[in-house]
Amino acid sequence: MASHNIMIIDDEKIVGDMARLSLEQEGYEVETFLDGRSALDRLEEKTFKVVITDLKMKGVDGLEVLRTVKKLYPETVVIMITAFANLDVAIEALRDDVHDFFPKPVKLKELKISIQRAMEKN
Amino acid sequence: MKITHKVYFSNAVLIALIVLISAFALHDLDQILTKFRFTVIADQLNASFLTMRLAEKNYFLYGDLDTLSEIDEMIGTATSSMEAVKADIIRAVGHDNYKKLNRKLVAYGHRVDETRQAAKEGVGLEGKRRTQMRLRLAGRHLKEFSENITEMERDRVGRIIAGSKTILFYSFLGVVFFALFFTYLIVNNIGLSLRKVVEFTQMISRGNYEKIAERYPNNEMGAVISAVNTMAEDLQNREKEILQSKRLASIGILVAGVAHELNNPLNNISMMAQTYVEVYENLQKEQRIEFMQRVEEETERLRIIIKNLLDFSRAKERHLVENKANNVVQKTIALVRNMLNISNIQLQLDLADDLPTIYVDEHQVQQVLVNITTNAIQAMGDTGVLFLRSHYISDVDEIEIEVRDTGSGIESKFLDHIFDPFFTTKEEGGTGLGLWVSYGIIKNHGGNLRVESSADDGTAFFITLPSCKSVKECCNGKS
Repeated sequence: MASHNIMIIDDEKIVGDMARLSLEQEGYEVETFLDGRSALDRLEEKTFKVVITDLKMKGVDGLEVLRTVKKLYPETVVIMITAFANLDVAIEALRDDVHDFFPKPVKLKELKISIQRAMEKN
Repeated sequence: MKITHKVYFSNAVLIALIVLISAFALHDLDQILTKFRFTVIADQLNASFLTMRLAEKNYFLYGDLDTLSEIDEMIGTATSSMEAVKADIIRAVGHDNYKKLNRKLVAYGHRVDETRQAAKEGVGLEGKRRTQMRLRLAGRHLKEFSENITEMERDRVGRIIAGSKTILFYSFLGVVFFALFFTYLIVNNIGLSLRKVVEFTQMISRGNYEKIAERYPNNEMGAVISAVNTMAEDLQNREKEILQSKRLASIGILVAGVAHELNNPLNNISMMAQTYVEVYENLQKEQRIEFMQRVEEETERLRIIIKNLLDFSRAKERHLVENKANNVVQKTIALVRNMLNISNIQLQLDLADDLPTIYVDEHQVQQVLVNITTNAIQAMGDTGVLFLRSHYISDVDEIEIEVRDTGSGIESKFLDHIFDPFFTTKEEGGTGLGLWVSYGIIKNHGGNLRVESSADDGTAFFITLPSCKSVKECCNGKS
């Protein structure tokens, strides 16, 4: 089991860059992607424990990433972040078994606690 | 008068005319029949008078008194047959002529008696000649009178027929004339009103909801015009409602868009600040500077979004001045000239001379043109042709400025959304507010901004602005 690796998907490059800096310091292995398609391609090659994805992206969006991951890699935990805090979308995401849902701006401490809990899940 | 009443009235007039003509014709026919019947009777009488005269001649030749008795008999028959058809004869030739004829017949009878008496008494040769003369004279008078009135009546029949023919001919012309006249009146009336309604509905379809102001007639067309007026009013109200709900929906989209667009750079700044604190100790000087530079870039992003939003809100405060459309286009070209020069894009101008002036905020319209031409240039990349065209659309009294590129066009699924706030197809750097702001500016000028796009022909934006003539304040005073 690939233990501590995390995938971050966000079309805002800074989100991936900052999350990686912060999370690598905690000892996590982090890969970042700017769109859903390339992230899903990478998932075929490598197993990730946690996928953190933005909701609103061009092409494959966060909900599609969530559904694909839950279908193909049920062990992987998905955390969603979004600038578009819409209750309907949050409910839909929760129904699809999202681990956590963070509106932007994201508090890194809270994100890390959520990741910590996800890692301890199994 | 209502149209149905007019139709009824014209039909009533035509029917009355036809009835009148028929009455005339019937009357004439009746007269002809009467005269005809008389001539038949008269012919019989004439024939019997002729026989009497032949008998009279025989008497003079042979002196046979039985011949005179035959004449008496014939007079009796003629008298009784005249009596039998008295009414017919009187109707044809009148009472006087009947009486005269009767008197002449009676006189002839007397002369026959007189002649018989003379023969029996054996008067002298002189006396005999005198009675013979008187008998002949009476016979001739009777026959001549009878033949005269017969001839007269034949003439009269001819005249009646000729008269009827003339009357029928002119009556026919009269009926045709009246029918055509009434048809013309009604059709002309309906046609005029219909033309007005057509013009009016065309006006409505162009979004001009003015009512047909002039007093409309109190007939079916009036009812149609009144119904169209009501429809125009309803349509105007409906349009206002739709505009209002669109405005509300657009505010909704705007707010959601603003939240999303502002949240992204805010989140970036926030994450950079949090990370900066976390990793500060491990960062080199250059890395720290880079952090702050990226924070600055994100704040710049926020600044641009806010500026665009302010532009949109400022679009309502206009400084309208009478201006020439081509003037604004030329100033825009000066602004984008540099962009054209660094790429390989050619500029083709087709600006119409003598365009009517427009009443606009020059900077705002220029902002729209810069926005659209910049989009066009970016859509074409390094090579292509940028067309700028201006012309006058006289039937709506508007000036149209067309900006056309030879790019790959906008996907049809995006076309409905390109004027939505924060909608962009640009990979990076597009705020999605440019066209939204442009649309607001042109709409605020009473104009329209629309787009046509296809993969083959590229994209064309059409800006229409009302000419100065059609803007009331333009002629009264410039602000």
